[in-house]
Amino acid sequence: MSIHDNEGVKQLLIERVKTSETPRDVLRAPELRKLYSTIGSIPAEERANFGREVNDLKQALEEAITEREAQLDSASVEQLDVTAPWGENASLPSLLPAEHGTHHPLIQELNQVVDIFTRMGFEAVESRQIDDDFHMFEALNFPKDHPARDGYDTFRTEEGYVPPAHTSTMQHRILLDGKARLEAGGDIAAISYGRVFRNEDVDATHEHTFYQVEGVYVSEQANLGQMLGTLRSFFETYYDQELRIKTQPAYFPFVEPGLEFAIEKPAAIGGGPGQWLEMLGCGMIHPNVLEAAGIDSKKYRGFAWGGGVERLVMLKYGIEDLRHFESGKLAFLRKFNT
Amino acid sequence: MIISFNWLKQYVDIDLPIQELVELIGERLVEVESVEYIGDKYKDARIVRVMACKPIEGTDHLNVAKIDDGGVVEGIERDENGYVQVVCGAPNVHEGIDVVWLPPQSIVPDTYGDAEPFVLSAKELRGVMSNGMLASARELDLYDYHEGIIVVDKAAEPGALFVDVYDLDDYLLDIENKSLTHRPDTFGLIGFAREVAGIQGKPFNEPHWFAELEARATSQGADAAPGVSIEDPELCARFTAVVLTDMDETRQSPLYIQSLLARSGVRPVSAAVDVANYLMLLSGQPLHTYDYDKLLQVAGGDQVVGVRTAREGETLALLDGREIALDTSDIVIAAGNTAVGLAGAMGGASTAIDGTTKRVLLEVATFDLYHLRSTQMRHGIFSEAITRFTKGIPAAISMPVTQEAVRLFEEYTGATVSSAIADARPVRRKPLAVEVSVEMINETLGTQYAAEDVMVLLENVGFEVTFNDTVGTVQVPYWREDIHIPEDIIEEVGRLAGFDSINLTLPLRESTAVRPDAFDQLRMRIRQYLVQAGANEVLTYSFVHGDVLQRAGQKPENSYRIVNSISPELQYYRQSLTPSLLGLVHPNVKAGHDSFAVFELNKTHDKSAGLTNENVPVEHDRLALVVEKTEGADQPAFYLAKRYLEYLGVKLGKTFEYQIITGDEADVATAPYEPKHSAVVFDVATGAYVGVVGEYKKAVRKGWKLSDSVAGFEINTRALMAGSVDDTATYMPLSRYPGTQRDICFQVPVLTAYGAVGRAVKEVLSNIDITTSVEPVDIYHSDNADVKNVTVRINMVSHDKTLSQDDINRVVEAVSAHVSTAVNGKAV
Repeated sequence: MSIHDNEGVKQLLIERVKTSETPRDVLRAPELRKLYSTIGSIPAEERANFGREVNDLKQALEEAITEREAQLDSASVEQLDVTAPWGENASLPSLLPAEHGTHHPLIQELNQVVDIFTRMGFEAVESRQIDDDFHMFEALNFPKDHPARDGYDTFRTEEGYVPPAHTSTMQHRILLDGKARLEAGGDIAAISYGRVFRNEDVDATHEHTFYQVEGVYVSEQANLGQMLGTLRSFFETYYDQELRIKTQPAYFPFVEPGLEFAIEKPAAIGGGPGQWLEMLGCGMIHPNVLEAAGIDSKKYRGFAWGGGVERLVMLKYGIEDLRHFESGKLAFLRKFNT
Repeated sequence: MIISFNWLKQYVDIDLPIQELVELIGERLVEVESVEYIGDKYKDARIVRVMACKPIEGTDHLNVAKIDDGGVVEGIERDENGYVQVVCGAPNVHEGIDVVWLPPQSIVPDTYGDAEPFVLSAKELRGVMSNGMLASARELDLYDYHEGIIVVDKAAEPGALFVDVYDLDDYLLDIENKSLTHRPDTFGLIGFAREVAGIQGKPFNEPHWFAELEARATSQGADAAPGVSIEDPELCARFTAVVLTDMDETRQSPLYIQSLLARSGVRPVSAAVDVANYLMLLSGQPLHTYDYDKLLQVAGGDQVVGVRTAREGETLALLDGREIALDTSDIVIAAGNTAVGLAGAMGGASTAIDGTTKRVLLEVATFDLYHLRSTQMRHGIFSEAITRFTKGIPAAISMPVTQEAVRLFEEYTGATVSSAIADARPVRRKPLAVEVSVEMINETLGTQYAAEDVMVLLENVGFEVTFNDTVGTVQVPYWREDIHIPEDIIEEVGRLAGFDSINLTLPLRESTAVRPDAFDQLRMRIRQYLVQAGANEVLTYSFVHGDVLQRAGQKPENSYRIVNSISPELQYYRQSLTPSLLGLVHPNVKAGHDSFAVFELNKTHDKSAGLTNENVPVEHDRLALVVEKTEGADQPAFYLAKRYLEYLGVKLGKTFEYQIITGDEADVATAPYEPKHSAVVFDVATGAYVGVVGEYKKAVRKGWKLSDSVAGFEINTRALMAGSVDDTATYMPLSRYPGTQRDICFQVPVLTAYGAVGRAVKEVLSNIDITTSVEPVDIYHSDNADVKNVTVRINMVSHDKTLSQDDINRVVEAVSAHVSTAVNGKAV
């Protein structure tokens, strides 16, 4: 407890701000200067506490000043008739020319991907942009302290929430949601899509913010051959040509076996035989992941995959720099006007 | 991780060309990021003998050497003996040694492949002709050492190619080891070789010493075997230790071993260090050595080496000179009560080996990988050793590695073993057997393997398999601690046989196309409409600077804050989209765009929105638009933003109502909007709050360098979901009779809202039995007048008849009378 009446000074100064025509001047008030000058004379053990109080005071004052300034700014503004279709002595404002309008290429491509999968019978759900450790990791067979977590470079909030580093953060929810349908003799077929985040320094080929699509299929008969067939079928539709595929063993805790999936670079984007493009990671859903959602892993099997959207767009248009996508530059955006 | 192809071939038969092998490894084991052929850069390097060597007078360090290349290099000036003269500045050049000579016209290997490679020549140095050079390790691109030339330690004919004698006709495979996180066995060359055998369909034979898991009988040496005390079996599954005496720290390891280490990216140092690294690269098991006399001194004579967690407040001086404060979850090696090493990470300064070391204690141990992982992060230690330890080293290999280490130390460092091997192994992992049926394998992979196929594939890499009909029992070898369940075995089978050999099918299901959900459809429509209205869709980051929030009038403490953000720019979750869009206006104006609209559909987060029933933060789906239009701006920008929102409303079948901002709005998105030039928006049909539209506060405009012709809106996208009325519900057949229209002008007090006039007109029209509608025509206010003129147009049509003049007048009179009363005006 400070012997100085900091609270009293705070109330006094805030009241002064509220009525001042030049509220910022209150920051130079003698009362405030006096407080600063006493810091030196405060006993060392109380100094930290006192310093914190003074800081709180300054912050509160700053907020009050901003509010008062906005009030003063607004005072000179005339109230508009917000119910009117246009201003006095004017006419209906015209919209901008239609030919200036453009869709964002990333969202456009994402919609294409979603469209193909929905036509293949997969439901589409948007991924969350803030989630918890359980959905991001634990439900996906990444125990606490698992080294594979390192590969995801996740951000954290103060509360321990996670900006998801993959759209698989929806997988547990998709499984829970589809469990009843599965047990009624049906299957689970869904994709989740959306924005994900990784703690990466940004350059032409790295972004901390990007988009992914994840797919999940569960049934009594699901197998790896079907997964590869489904993925090839998607890419053949997407590129409108027959494609060769190949795989590579990979390790993701939520699948077993786990694979990287590559396609032979399609002619549509300047590819030819022998050139391979790694498109996504995939695998048979780990039994622990099914069990975490209450699905009997002895009876049902599933496969899942996930890949980035930026890659597709960059290959399609020959975009050289990943940073353009979130740059908001009209010079970039208006190139996509077809 | 770099793997030398030639070294690998010493442990496994490979009959594929390198390119095919690399493809096979990629398909069935791990990605090979790159393959480098190193033979080319050595193609001209020759092993030669120094036949004579004498200092050049007047120089302090240059020698002129006569070398014998067996006469194999052509076009070179030779003396009467056929020797070639080379000037050399290395202090270790002398007569009788074999060295590596880079002849004139050859490229110094170190610069091979550079834009400007260094091509040697025959030229005079200090007036003495020098043909090419005698090479150091650095010049040979082996490792970074330049204090002397390489001395060849293998018997070779003068003139022999260096590349042949040292097996440098080699490829280096750069392995993407991130995806081998779960495979500590492959972090040793032997384990990698086992996999290479398996994926080629060949059985693998381990080197004899590696397969020898039990201790050999040894005689007690001069020293008692050190004691090992492990505080908690969780920390350390095994710790073996042995004392070696008379290790010569100055000895170098054979050049061949040095070159293998160098190819693997490990710098050769001395025989003692190289042997430990060589064995680590081979087996995956790191080794550590202590000065045993120093250790005993620290321990006060106690011969027990302890493994324990660090004590509260304990510190340790590391080999690299750092003094670190230990955490109580760090595992330390202790002598007596004193920590002398950070287990698996780095030794301590107090027991470091130096030139005076007489007796060495060799440690071969395995520690809990999770403890080591946190130690690694906490103290920032990233070595080849800890990289392996944090994958989990199997305890079984401690003994064979210790025994092989003793042999190599004795052979290369002059040391002799002087104690029995101490072997502390508090826990023994039970061998695991996994049952899996051939049916399950085939059903999961979509394959048709027979039991025999499965057996061969697995046994090639060390599993023991027995089949009882179609049910297999698979004994998991000690180095595969990652295998627990049938699915793990299925992966092994699929991988070793090659996933790419699996037939591709599609799921057999009653599948029908799925319709995108209603919200997705709504967003697609919104995007389409706004693009048609000339707007550009943008995406902006979800995280913003605390200053951005403050500038927008939003409280940073209401935002979820990222604790490990890349920069302050990306520290807080944004509470609304508008501030991000405002940040785009000035840069685009500066880039020459004067009229544009940008919009974004995205999610926002703020703490005041609370949590969902899953206990995660509620997410808001929002749509924001910001429009800047300088040309034809003859009225407040508010009306242009409103025009966009009204347009969208019409397209979506929504009627909006606009109300003055009171300042008590709960919506954080309203914060940057100037209350008197903005409105909060409600859906007339549902009464639901939709969002805010208008211009921005002066401070906001100043903060983002915006002109006063910027305005926009931010709405809750989901509010547009409910109550949409589409054309199917409102369509009315066209009348067969002509319609007509009348404009009525009302003079009203200046502060009367247009909405009040419009509302009053509609009230009247709703009681009239002909079909009518109303639209605004003009709002005129002459300067300083206390009244204004509001003109509206009434459209009228009847489905029964052509309207007469009387019918029309009746409508006009009714409207005029009611509106005049309702808004205290008069029809003029």
